[in-house]
Amino acid sequence: MMSDRPFLEPGLEEPRLLIEEGPREKLPPARWLRRHLFNNWYNTAITVLLLMVLGYGGYRFLLFLFVSGRWAPVRQNLTLFMVGRFPRSELWRVVAQLIIWSGALGLAWGAAIAGARFRAAQTGVPYREDPVLARVRRYWGLLALLLLMLLLTESVGPLIVAIGAIGAGAIMQWAGTRVPGQYSDLLWALVGMLAVGGYQIVSGFHGNGWLWMGVPLAAGVGGLTRRVNWQRPRRVRIIRLGSIFGVLLLSYLFYTFVDLRGVGWDKWEGLYLNLVAATVAIVLSFPLGLLLALARRSTFPALRVMSTAYIELIRGVPLISLLLMGRFFIGFFLNTDTPLSALTRAIAAFTLFTAAYVAEIVRGGLQSVPRGQIEAGQSLGLSPLGVTRLIVLPQALRAVIPAMVGQFISLFKDTSLLSIISVAEILQVRALVHTQPAFRGFGIAETLVFVMLAFWAFSFTMSRESQRLERRLGVGER
Amino acid sequence: MTQTTIDSSGRQSRVVWYRNIRVLRVVGQAIAVVGVVALLWWLFNNLVTNLDRLNINTDFGFLGRPTQFQVPYDEGFNPRSSVWSMMLVGVKNTLLAGFFGIILASILGLLVGIGRLSSNWLVARLATLYVETLRNIPPLVVIVFVGFAVFTFGPFPILSEADQFSLFGSDHSFLILSNTIWAVPSLIAGENAGLFWLAALAGLGAAAAVAWWRTRVRERTGKPHHRVLFGLGAFLAVAATGYLIAGDVYALSWPELSETGRRITGGFELNFGFISVTVALGLYTASHIAEIVRGSILAVPKGQSEAANALALSSFQRYRYVVLPQAFRVAVPPIISQYLNLVKNTSLGIAVSYAEITMLTQTSIGNGRPAPQSIILLMGVYLALSLTISSLLNVYNRRLQLVER
Repeated sequence: MMSDRPFLEPGLEEPRLLIEEGPREKLPPARWLRRHLFNNWYNTAITVLLLMVLGYGGYRFLLFLFVSGRWAPVRQNLTLFMVGRFPRSELWRVVAQLIIWSGALGLAWGAAIAGARFRAAQTGVPYREDPVLARVRRYWGLLALLLLMLLLTESVGPLIVAIGAIGAGAIMQWAGTRVPGQYSDLLWALVGMLAVGGYQIVSGFHGNGWLWMGVPLAAGVGGLTRRVNWQRPRRVRIIRLGSIFGVLLLSYLFYTFVDLRGVGWDKWEGLYLNLVAATVAIVLSFPLGLLLALARRSTFPALRVMSTAYIELIRGVPLISLLLMGRFFIGFFLNTDTPLSALTRAIAAFTLFTAAYVAEIVRGGLQSVPRGQIEAGQSLGLSPLGVTRLIVLPQALRAVIPAMVGQFISLFKDTSLLSIISVAEILQVRALVHTQPAFRGFGIAETLVFVMLAFWAFSFTMSRESQRLERRLGVGER
Repeated sequence: MTQTTIDSSGRQSRVVWYRNIRVLRVVGQAIAVVGVVALLWWLFNNLVTNLDRLNINTDFGFLGRPTQFQVPYDEGFNPRSSVWSMMLVGVKNTLLAGFFGIILASILGLLVGIGRLSSNWLVARLATLYVETLRNIPPLVVIVFVGFAVFTFGPFPILSEADQFSLFGSDHSFLILSNTIWAVPSLIAGENAGLFWLAALAGLGAAAAVAWWRTRVRERTGKPHHRVLFGLGAFLAVAATGYLIAGDVYALSWPELSETGRRITGGFELNFGFISVTVALGLYTASHIAEIVRGSILAVPKGQSEAANALALSSFQRYRYVVLPQAFRVAVPPIISQYLNLVKNTSLGIAVSYAEITMLTQTSIGNGRPAPQSIILLMGVYLALSLTISSLLNVYNRRLQLVER
């Protein structure tokens, strides 16, 4: 559960094929069968045995799926599984968020494609487009989940939402690929704004939310003002700082005085909560983990000792003990007047826990940067901070993206532990479904299979993506 | 702490202290330490104030007092037993589930991992299906599935109508299956069991001596040593002699369903929590171990296999003497971390009320024991377990690794 990637240990490399495979030879079916299934007596025996087992198992499984399975608990509680007891009158927020996020994702995807094309054109490498079929094959897990849920629904609403979200994603992806490469910074700022805005459509535009919105806003305004080409450079600097400050002030004022309230995360439940809690925890734990990793690699013994102690302490205990700590006595440590909600404590525990693992991942990345790079930076006269920021971190972080995706997957799977502290994520929602009089002790296996499928579809797709990223980024190949 | 530089005119000059890197290093670390200590002190201060305000004791005196609740499926435990003995029961159960889970995960993981590389298309596909399915489902969901969908609400009958299996012509059943308890025969120590164990220990010593002797023979004459065979023989000979001489060592105890059908007498009981945790974690961790096994076998350079072929080794010899030893060396560190994960994941047994340490701690907090101390003890237990296992296996790993320049 904790570390899903077997090759995190330093000094180990992912195995890879050294020789390019030639075009696969096509065998006629009879010869193919003989070569791959019946090439000697024991393989024949194994094949026959497995075919028998598989036939019986497959028969029982199909029977379960289509005949004996009692799917009513799933079918009648689909909304409950997705969003739990989220206030039904506010459900439009989730729908809007889905569409906005889908658009942001599409835009980011398009921007990535445009960037890759741009770089390919600059370096003269031919750019290879992914065929649509490859994409469908890559995301078949998620598509299967979506299709299954649409089959199970009893109204057309979800279908419309799904079409809307996919449509928004497709349109934004198309738009993203049309934006010329030199505007990519503005595009990424827009993606950030959409991501934060999508989140705040549900959580509300109020309170400290302006801080989150401020980052992409400032990046966007900074990018815009950099394009102002005036004669006097001092004026430009003043305008840049002034406009960034002005935008931040505006957003602060908006969030403080207009104060559009939404639905706080204590009311988020179901699969929705699993996804959001994992995302929030990984976003929050990343800066902490980065600092811990830098401290563990630093030449200051005091920092190194403290950071190592923290990391090893956290990695030595199970997540659930941290969740119990959050549940029973995190409140004692803080002087808050209102007790923190169960979910806030849990996310604090998730963040503290994940930070230790993120730190180890980032440390692996830092170690993978050759010493020569650091020495080159020093010989250019960069300060230690400059070497870290400009030379080490960009290379290290690029190398750890796949491992971070892996960590995100295991965090997503760990959100199922929220059920143990009675937060209604999807596994707990399933328990709630079985408290309904109609479904007490009824369809236990069916609801569990559905929950498994929900976890599986997301984790499987993400792990496929991370493997692809690994190949794309060529981690460990230089 | 002085530092000098030589400026362009060749004069030596002192560096002012606020630019002296050595001073800066000390000051920087001091600031960091003071910051962290201040944070910890603030947290600790809040903790003490709040505990005082709520009248919660901060001592560990509660460990000696009775638990006032019953540990499920534990006959030797009663509500008057102390919290301390409850913790021991919890640690024992954690270790039991961890131990059997590790065995199951290792065997299954090895099989599936090798299966993924099989030349048999069907085997490779099924192994891939297994890995890709199990690896992407949370272990908690697997535990709940095994616990509730397979056991409580699954195909097994209730205890009073349990399935009993017996050998032909025997009155005793060697396996009792129900949806809450499984039972198998067990051994009951007789009077002279201690004597037998002494003999077994002596047998181990004899085996070591014989193995050493065979190694010497091999070194002197170059004949095959067969030290495992010889050692095993020596051990069995000594242990069997001890068994025969001691007499009355162990008796077999058969499980039996009581008249009322409420409980099982004799034999060894496996409650459904234990089976679910062990089986589920075994299945889940096996999917990770399988990937490690596969990766390690692939990580052995192809030239090694080709060299083995060039020496005309058989396919079995190639695996046994060339590929697997090298793959093993790569696989040990990540497998250690998987074992640690498995032991930590036994804490999820809470979902099927398996009486391991986390579940018992939570129950005892629910019964009014102070939370901070209980959870600190809980974390201490897991830390101790993790550190022990990892240091033991690291010693082993160090012996296994190649000594490089």
